[in-house]
Amino acid sequence: MSTVRSTGLAESINATLADLLDSDPRLLLLGEDIGRLGGVFRVTRDLQRRFGADRVRDSLLAESTIIGQAVGMAISGLVPVCEIQFDGFSYPAVNQLVTQAARIGGRWNGRVSPSLVVRIPTGGGFRGVEHHNESNEALFARYPGISVACPSTGEDADQILRHAVTLGSPVVMYEPIRLYWRRSAPARDPEPARSPSAARIVRRGTDLTVATFGAITHEVLEAAHALAPDVDVEVVDLRWVAPIDMNTVLESVARTGRLLVVHEASKDLGIGAEIAASVAEHGFDALRGPVRRLAPDRRTYPPANFEKDYLIGVQEIKDEVLVMTK
Amino acid sequence: MVLKSESAHATDPDDDTRRSLLRHMLVVRGLDEEAHRLQKQGSIDLWASCQGQEAAQVGSALAVGPDPAVFPSYREHAVALLRGVAPDELMAQWAGRTFCGWDPHRVRFFPYTLVLAAQTLHAVGYSIGQRLQGREDFVVVYIGDGATSEGDMSEAMNLAAVESASVLFVCQNNGWAISKPAEEQMRTSLAERARGFGIASARLPGDDPEAVFSACARAAAHIRGERAPYLVEIQVGRIQGHTTSDAQEAYRTPDDLARTRAADPVTAYAARLSDRGLVDSAWLDGVDAEVREMRELLVKEYA
Ligand SMILES: Cc1ncc(C[n+]2csc(CCOP(=O)(O)OP(=O)(O)O)c2C)c(N)n1
Ligand SMILES: [Mg+2]
Repeated sequence: MSTVRSTGLAESINATLADLLDSDPRLLLLGEDIGRLGGVFRVTRDLQRRFGADRVRDSLLAESTIIGQAVGMAISGLVPVCEIQFDGFSYPAVNQLVTQAARIGGRWNGRVSPSLVVRIPTGGGFRGVEHHNESNEALFARYPGISVACPSTGEDADQILRHAVTLGSPVVMYEPIRLYWRRSAPARDPEPARSPSAARIVRRGTDLTVATFGAITHEVLEAAHALAPDVDVEVVDLRWVAPIDMNTVLESVARTGRLLVVHEASKDLGIGAEIAASVAEHGFDALRGPVRRLAPDRRTYPPANFEKDYLIGVQEIKDEVLVMTK
Repeated sequence: MVLKSESAHATDPDDDTRRSLLRHMLVVRGLDEEAHRLQKQGSIDLWASCQGQEAAQVGSALAVGPDPAVFPSYREHAVALLRGVAPDELMAQWAGRTFCGWDPHRVRFFPYTLVLAAQTLHAVGYSIGQRLQGREDFVVVYIGDGATSEGDMSEAMNLAAVESASVLFVCQNNGWAISKPAEEQMRTSLAERARGFGIASARLPGDDPEAVFSACARAAAHIRGERAPYLVEIQVGRIQGHTTSDAQEAYRTPDDLARTRAADPVTAYAARLSDRGLVDSAWLDGVDAEVREMRELLVKEYA
């Protein structure tokens, strides 16, 4: 099984943001503690020093303020890239994101097309205290007008960010906290995605497709590598959960005949349900067995001592694949 | 209720401006009445009347001039017309044709926002964005009394104060948020609340467009001079229900309604300018003809 060295996600997003700030004068960063401190995860380290406090703005401590003023800035022609400090603190911003940012372009009949990016550190697995381990991407994925990205590598985050700042409609990008500093990752096929908004087949296989996204892509790949050569698993890293690149999923299922969806957010009414339903509707004939989902039960993310029981691990993924391919 | 304006008028309108104030008030009254008629006959779905608020809207809009971008709430029809939104464009969203019937860039009157107070943060952010790009950063945002209870309004006032943003907050306090009286919505005036955030403010009655004009002209001078925000709280009456779907007789006393109608700022100002000899019947007939033409156009388009 192969593991490769990689740049930490924080460092690589930092480099992308610096490059974007450098090349587009309309772009600015906005978030709590992102300037002087460089963000609580240091994703924006040194950027205020390099680009100034006008463009790397320490926002007020108010999430609705961050997104609400970003909407106004976007109407004025700027491209705000906002940071919400933790996934669990995105809720005060939901109104501005859902009823305003997502709808402003339509309300203006296309006369403004606000490119507005919201970066949100997400997920658990690092012994965080309450509210610091959430995975609420399915919430925003429900709303037309918002695109939702869940990259699992710095390379993907780079491609997604560069695409997002030109999209002309809001993008929420979830950044897995536990990948910010991780410097090794399971090997991936080098095959590029078809487009910046497409999913990516990160491991070619013949027996079963796993569709997944975000940090847990790493556990899925590790499981897939461990199961080879007995079971040959194809892994689709969705990269975006809204809109979902169903073509790539359906084509993969057409080849393998089996689909498992794995995600870190709880299972009910989640991304996995949407994918399972779409495959049932459009790929049923290709299936050799039922589509299955592997995700935590519907319960609150537990205190750190219990998070191992909550999170889906490599072993559970292997077990599930073996059951499905028996 | 008659409130004393908190400071003397610094910038009185000249006679042309007085006639302009009245003309805009009369025109929007005609539009508002036609909208009610169209709604009753089922030609438009809903209308949020601005009757009783014309002096506040026309006075504030004329005072700031055509340059500032305006972030309205949803009943600033007088401001819309004054900025050059065509009557049929204004009506389109109430007839279910679109979410915004006009080109917001052309008139710098941005779309109505139906989620209360959300536009206040947009206004401040827009002003900051304009300033960062070296462009006109004077922005006007309208809000009702009830909507000031929303968190976004407090956040926007704080943001505007901290950033010293060139934003004029115009709160039209019509005494009601649907059925909830303003006295039950807040313990202090909005003007006082603004000062708590570090925003200069004034509170004034909204029956006299000239007083509104003067107060807003002063506010605009403050904003341009200090490059800092300002809030005016204008006390107005709400003659009609919250919208055409609202039966205000259910929660307002006949007395209250009669008093509000009697204090109609449009008829009062027309009488005043006539008395002062600033307008004559020929002038008034001219405006009447303009209104009739507008109403015919609306009927043709929507009935
Ligand atoms: C966030 C939100 N909550 C509730 C409503 C429903 N609603 C629309 S207008 C209104 C009353 C607003 O009163 P006020 O701010 O005083 O403005 P007015 O209608 O009197 O001009 C309410 C409750 C809404 N549009 N948005
Ligand atoms: Mg009101």
